[in-house]
Amino acid sequence: MVAVTRMVVRRLLIGVFVMWGAASVIFVIVRAAPGDPAAVFLGPDADKEQIARLTAALGLDKPLFEQYVRYLGDVLRLDFGESYRLGRPAMEAVFERLPATIDLTLTATAVAVAVGLALGLVAGSRPGGAVDRVVSAVTIALQSFPTFWVGIMLVLTFALGLRLLPSAGVGTPAHLVLPAVTLAFPFTAIVARLTRSSVAEAMREPYVQTARSKGLSERQVLLGHALRNSLIPVVTIVGLQMGALMGGAVIVENVFAWPGLGSLVVDAVANRDYAVVQAVTLLIAGVVMVLNIVADVLYVRLDPRIRTEVAS
Amino acid sequence: MSQAAVLPQQVATRRWRSGALARVPYAVIALYVLVALIGPLVIDYDPVRTPLPDRLLAPGSRIASGEIAWLGTDALGRDILAQIVYGARTSLGIGLATVLVACVVGVTIGVVAGYSRGRLDAVLARITDVLQAFPAILLAIVIAGVFARSVPVVVLSLSVTAWISFARVTRGVALSLRERAWVDAARVMGVPVRSIIVRHVVPFTVGPVVALATLEFALVVLAEAGLSFLGIGLPTGAVSWGQTIANGQQYLETAWWISTLPGIALSLLIINIGILGDQLTARHGQRRPRS
Amino acid sequence: MTGFCKTTAIVAAAVLLLAGCSTTSGGGGGGDPAGEKLTAAGTYPIESLDPHGAQGASTGTQLAAQAIFSRLVRPGADGKVVGDLAETWEPGATAAEWTFHLRNGVTFSDGKPLAAADVVASFERMMTLDGPNAANFPDYKMTAPADTEVKLTAPAPDASIPRKLGLFYVLPRTVTAQDTAFFERPVGSGPFAVDRFAPGEVLALSANAKHWGGPPQLGHLDIRTIPDLSARLTALRTGELDVLWGIPDDQLPTLNGSDGLTVKTVPSTAVFTMWFNSSTPGLKKPEVRRALWQGVGFDTIIKQLYPQTGALADGLVAPAVLGYAKQSPVAHDPAAAKAALEAAGFDFGKKLRLQFSDAEFRPFVQAVASDLAEIGVKVDVLEKEKAVFTEDLLALNWDVNFQQLATPTYDAASNLGRLYTCAAGRTGYCDKDLDKLLAEAGASTDEAERADLYGQAGKIIWDDAVGMYPMTVQLAYSWRARVTGFTPDPSGLPDFSRVRLAGA
Repeated sequence: MVAVTRMVVRRLLIGVFVMWGAASVIFVIVRAAPGDPAAVFLGPDADKEQIARLTAALGLDKPLFEQYVRYLGDVLRLDFGESYRLGRPAMEAVFERLPATIDLTLTATAVAVAVGLALGLVAGSRPGGAVDRVVSAVTIALQSFPTFWVGIMLVLTFALGLRLLPSAGVGTPAHLVLPAVTLAFPFTAIVARLTRSSVAEAMREPYVQTARSKGLSERQVLLGHALRNSLIPVVTIVGLQMGALMGGAVIVENVFAWPGLGSLVVDAVANRDYAVVQAVTLLIAGVVMVLNIVADVLYVRLDPRIRTEVAS
Repeated sequence: MSQAAVLPQQVATRRWRSGALARVPYAVIALYVLVALIGPLVIDYDPVRTPLPDRLLAPGSRIASGEIAWLGTDALGRDILAQIVYGARTSLGIGLATVLVACVVGVTIGVVAGYSRGRLDAVLARITDVLQAFPAILLAIVIAGVFARSVPVVVLSLSVTAWISFARVTRGVALSLRERAWVDAARVMGVPVRSIIVRHVVPFTVGPVVALATLEFALVVLAEAGLSFLGIGLPTGAVSWGQTIANGQQYLETAWWISTLPGIALSLLIINIGILGDQLTARHGQRRPRS
Repeated sequence: MTGFCKTTAIVAAAVLLLAGCSTTSGGGGGGDPAGEKLTAAGTYPIESLDPHGAQGASTGTQLAAQAIFSRLVRPGADGKVVGDLAETWEPGATAAEWTFHLRNGVTFSDGKPLAAADVVASFERMMTLDGPNAANFPDYKMTAPADTEVKLTAPAPDASIPRKLGLFYVLPRTVTAQDTAFFERPVGSGPFAVDRFAPGEVLALSANAKHWGGPPQLGHLDIRTIPDLSARLTALRTGELDVLWGIPDDQLPTLNGSDGLTVKTVPSTAVFTMWFNSSTPGLKKPEVRRALWQGVGFDTIIKQLYPQTGALADGLVAPAVLGYAKQSPVAHDPAAAKAALEAAGFDFGKKLRLQFSDAEFRPFVQAVASDLAEIGVKVDVLEKEKAVFTEDLLALNWDVNFQQLATPTYDAASNLGRLYTCAAGRTGYCDKDLDKLLAEAGASTDEAERADLYGQAGKIIWDDAVGMYPMTVQLAYSWRARVTGFTPDPSGLPDFSRVRLAGA
């Protein structure tokens, strides 16, 4: 137990360091960028004087180091300043978009885990069989398709062709289907591959053989023993893949005009809305980091073998 | 965890490694390279020229000049087949450049950190921690988005995270080699560190690095297409699959071919690189750390 | 074994939770069965409701502001100024001073009366925030000589004041410059009041029963932002939307065939404007600029790309704008263009940097570059992010600049008068006679005289090819059959206060 606590404390300390590093990286990128935020803010009709006044008001005329120190202080207070484009605090805008991204990523995770487990199970129950081959081919394809193109193809088929689902935007649960499925594509493949290998491994284990010899049906053996065995790595991979999933969400949101963090950040980048760019990137970095730590801890807590390893 | 991830690959690719099927990915990739290299010499395409009377023609239509647009034309009357051919050159070029940059940087840092361990190694670990805090594509979007459009900026934005896997893998190899008898012997004999690294460490990283480079290449090509799709990074004059797909998005209902066909070209390439990468990975036993 | 059981339970629970989770961040989707709610979507998002702030000049904020707030005066459908809060107005001895007489009995939606003090406080708030709209009134002062009278004083005669005031909205006097809380539930004197506002997503409005002109016919009005074009069109077809505008030309045929949809285009005030940077050595000579214009087949490009929403321009500003004057057309003649360029000693080896900012215009700009390439002129098409574009625009860091330039005030003063003077330095072009004409036109209070003076100024600009003025833009609207009394607005700012829903 103590060992686990120590591990968590250590991970958290590294986490704090990582967040400082991440904040610094973003600061450097944003300040190195060409384009004057004050000029964009005021539009082409502003005169030089107005631009100068705003530059001063935003603190962009101060020495770089002073800006950096002030920036770190602001980050600690989760204050990323006003978004000049939205006319309100950047963090407010970001938190407003956060639920949409959470909806999208969680639904995609659910889809990926459900479909991935099923695929992995049928493939792993008879390694090398025809089904296994098909699943293996499917997972390679799922992982290779560019997500944005998958999204467009799904729109073409289900929204424009069959007119079953809305092509983009939000409103009803139906709006969530295509973006979530699109985002789930590569993730499903990862879960399926992982499940397949664990199940295949488990099928060779003595306890499965015992269960079989006890007269349990193949289905009972699969669901009762082999599947359980594969859940630990799946839980872990769900946590570890959150970063990739968030990255995928950035692109998928833009395909489907989903009003989450991804469409917000691409918009903000295009408009040099530094406050929003900083807020979104750091929020995503923070979320990914926390989820990674949670996945690590869960992994240790769930698997008795590892727990003893850490303790010793 | 990495154990678990290796297994399905090996089982899945065992079949691929045997027989003629195993050569399919080589053949397909070779075809793409060939198209990227000589396609532009055979097919004439000028992204600046916009024959408006030919716009939005379906695949197989005859254009004003009497030729046939086998894969149709886009909203400015430009040939889709030509865009796929020229796009292959852009994608493969950027992929290659990025992997090269990432490979050189990653292997250098990885070997040095793994061999010298200690403080240098710890610094490397922290740097990778920081860079991996961001989803790779997000960092690429921010970097490529804020600087002026150009190919080098795209390569840079993709390399920023791509080198990490190379550093990890080579660091692992270097770490284990360090303790081997012949490396010890060289050290005792007073061979300079640089020579030890170059002669006794680097050669052993080649296998895993090549396997990794293949998989990274696929990821980079996908990421570049993603950037172009979002309209970030490449200059307007460049021809890229992602851009063509994005251009066709608003014509899905009337001209499905603009978005669909370049996507198929891109997917086929990635699938085959993926299979090849898996084959090489299985052979060299090192698996890329996914993130 | 117990470990495994626990795992299974946790994971199963998690999966169930996730699967049961659905989106929560929805707009008010779908038409109202009672038929009294109208849902509309325009081209641009509504990101802020503050008409004095940084977003004040954006189309989205203007659209919201005209539904929620009142102005002193506003542009009518034909571009003429009509009274809103002001019943009458007149200039003083010179056009440097204007007096507005307010309507009696106007209240805000919370019942408080609207008086001259609110107007003055709002003007001061706009000037304090120093947003883009404030730039129209540098050092202007507003005072309230009486409770129903406001006076606006300019440092120099300015005949375009009434038209410029179409961008100025009146808020309650209690709203301070930094009051962001007010805009979560704003109080105004416009036809509608705010129920809910999610920036970039939806603005839900309901009728303001206390509106001075009588409450609007619609009980509820939702203005939605749907960034994706195909999603907007689908929503219109499925009845999720009642009114949609800003539809690109290529999509119009797919709508024209649909039942129960009216499709209509109206001429907007926007003109595709492609300035030449006259301070670039290669573009100094008017002959060169004229030849380049002659070298582009705008007629064909417009016919192909904008068959329904574009028309070849014959003036610098749209016909509805005060100061419009017809100019002689520039015919496409590549051979003559090439000859003229050669005669003028044009350097064909040097690439012209053509900058633009919005992906929407990429096809047009690329088609122009294609035509120029035909006559041997090399063009670097530079699509820039808005930030860089604006900075480079002001720094004259371009050779040809593409912009869709609208004149929301319907007055050439805010277009020709503002952009083409030597002092403005926006195009690198400078002509003393032009400056004089523009100054006279800006100071005169006689509209006919102003129109004439802007016409003369326009001729100089057009003939010297300070830029190319290829196309006037038409705005395409489409609405469902149940919507009646809807008038498409040239600026993309339709007024919903007189719209009805059939069967409501």
